[in-house]
Formats: sequence, structure tokens, C-alpha cells
Amino acid sequence: MATPMAYLALACKAALAVVLLAAGGAKLADLPGFAATVRLFLRASAPPLARRAVAFSIAAAEIAAGAASLSSPGAGWLNLAVLALCAGFLLVSALGYLRFPGRACQCFGALSGRSFSVAAIGRAALITTMAVLALTPVSASLISLGAAGRLGLLAGAGLIAWCAWTAAAAIGTGRDARQGLAS
Amino acid sequence: MPVFLFVAQWALLAGLGVLVVIMYRQLGRLLTERAEEGELGPAVGSRAAPLTYVRPGEHQERTLDPGDGQPALVAFADPTCPSCEQLVNVLGEMTDAGELNDLRSLVLISDPPSYLRISDVFSSTHVEVGRPVRRDGLDSYRVAGTPLLVAIDAGGVVRAVGSVTRPADVRAFAQSCLLPAPAEALATIPASRTSASHIPASRTPAAAARGDDET
Repeated sequence: MATPMAYLALACKAALAVVLLAAGGAKLADLPGFAATVRLFLRASAPPLARRAVAFSIAAAEIAAGAASLSSPGAGWLNLAVLALCAGFLLVSALGYLRFPGRACQCFGALSGRSFSVAAIGRAALITTMAVLALTPVSASLISLGAAGRLGLLAGAGLIAWCAWTAAAAIGTGRDARQGLAS
Repeated sequence: MPVFLFVAQWALLAGLGVLVVIMYRQLGRLLTERAEEGELGPAVGSRAAPLTYVRPGEHQERTLDPGDGQPALVAFADPTCPSCEQLVNVLGEMTDAGELNDLRSLVLISDPPSYLRISDVFSSTHVEVGRPVRRDGLDSYRVAGTPLLVAIDAGGVVRAVGSVTRPADVRAFAQSCLLPAPAEALATIPASRTSASHIPASRTPAAAARGDDET
């Protein structure tokens, strides 16, 4: 019999995975924009290619973590990896607020125009808390998936990332057009 | 079904729902901006392209050939759109009153012809109704939304464009078709204006939806 805590842990795990997939997909749609944010946290001498590589790695890591977390819920180490990722976001949010308040964080690429702020730290703290809750041990029967279930969830994960990429690309195109008109 | 599969499916569904809403918002924003920039319909002063269409229940292709010496009033309207019914109703009343005798009036629909039955206005109007059969020519009219009324003079030049439904506006559009004007002068008129000073600036579907009204 599943306890409410187990339901909460699984809901946090699934929701977090979807958030990671959407964030990763949206970042990939505007890699130069996200690389500009990454640049804030790298040494000024870092070459553009390195900034892009770091930006791509973060986005790819989010998608991989989200997809793996959804399709392999039994892998306990994945929960720790997701927690580490979320803790990293919390740290970056805090650093960004202290050093570059008001600058766009590009946390969801073009999907969100939010910037480094107290609210952003709060959101990062919330997803970190969800990652902590997802660590709660649950019965193996609750998370056992067959091959079809895994494949279905992987397909859903791909769909979310692709939709986020499409939406962010569409919004980015609209912004480019507006900037072009304004100039 | 394992609990996690159930929970994950709902999470995925919620995520997709949010993304769809975001995309629709962006689509609406883009369409509104396009309309506000005056990109709805052909530019005033430009030469109107020929349109090929068939009447409901017929197979014979007909052509509206702007510049053939007859002014034309072309309405892009659909039976499923209430504002379009208003426009077609006004056109029908003007036709019945003989106000459009000097020009050719045409209502072009994009809905299937069978949809005409659901609208009393469309099914009973005396204005010629047709459905475009080819995209070439039609694309140049840039019909991003309906209703859209385009006034074309005898020389085939677009004289007024707008999403109008009020009798006074439609009458002004009809009069603009009949005004003689050199094409060189028309070319200098901004795209978002009509070529007659007494005609209100073209109204877009977005403006109509907001309730903006020229008074």
C-alpha cells in the first residue's frame, strides 16, 4: 500500500523530470542566448566555443537527466544526480542574484524572460526541495516498469523536449523580428 | 499499472498542456502584431492579383480579373464567423438596393461549401459567393483573418483594405472603387490607409476583437 509520502516523492520526481526536459529543450533552441548567460560565470578569456560547449552540455545534461529519471525510476543514483543538478541551479541563482541582479537567467531559454532575482532563488530552492523529496525511498512495486512503459515514457520525454524547443524557437524568432523592426 | 507510470503520465500531460498554451499565446501575439503592422491584406496602391474560384455546386472555374475595367469589391468571409455574416448581410442589402450595380461584388469563402447551409445570411444572399481553387494569386491578398474587404478600382489597383462590417464603412469602400485616381498618386499612400480621406483607416480583426471602433 502506497503512503501519501510515496505519492509525493513520485510526483516530485516526475514533475522535476518534466521541468528538466522542458528547460533543456528550450535552452537548446537558443544556445547562443544561453551561452551569453554562461559567459557571466566563466572567465572572460574563455573562448566562444568553450562557452557554447558548456551551454550545450548543461542543456543536454538536463534532457538526459529528465529522460533517464522518467524511464528508469528505480535507479537511485539518478535521484542524486538530479539533486546535484538542482543544487547547482540554486547556487547559480544565488550567485547570479549577488553578482548580476536583473540579468536574464535564460533558465528556460526564450520561454521565460525571468532574470536573476529573489524569486528566481525561491524557484530554484523549490525544485531543489522537490529533488530532496524525490530521494524518499519507495516500494519497488510502485516504480517497476515494463519495456513498453519505459519506451512510452521515453517517447513522452522526447515529445516534451521537442515541444519546448519548438515553442522557444518560435518565441525567439518573434523577438528577433521585433528587434529587427525596432532597429 | 505501477503508480509511477500513472504519475509520470499526468506530469507529462501537464507539461505538454503548458507548452501548448505557451505556443498558442505566441501564435496569437504574432498574428496580432502582424495585423497591427498593417500587414493584413494587400497593400493599398498595389495591383490586385487575379483570383480563380468556383461557385458552390458548380465545377466551372471563374476568374476575377482586376484591371478588366470593372471595379470590384472582394470580401473574404466565412459562414462560421459572425462578423463575416454582418459584412455579407450589409453587402447583400446594398446589392438589393442597387448600390453595387456599378461594380462587381464577390464573397470568397475558405470553409467547405456545405457550411453555407449553416448560415441563413450566406445561403440567401444575392451577392456572388465562391471558393478559391488555387493559391496563386490568393496568397498575395494576405488573408490572415476574416472578414476582410478589399476594394479594387477599374484599373486593378487596391484602393482600400480592412476588416469592416458597418454599412457606412462598406459604402465608403464601394465608393473608393469608383474614384478616379492616377496610380502614381496611389502608390504614395501608406499601406495601412485607404485612398479616400473619408474612409476610416483599415480595421484589423485584432482591433475589431478589442472593440476598437472608429467614431
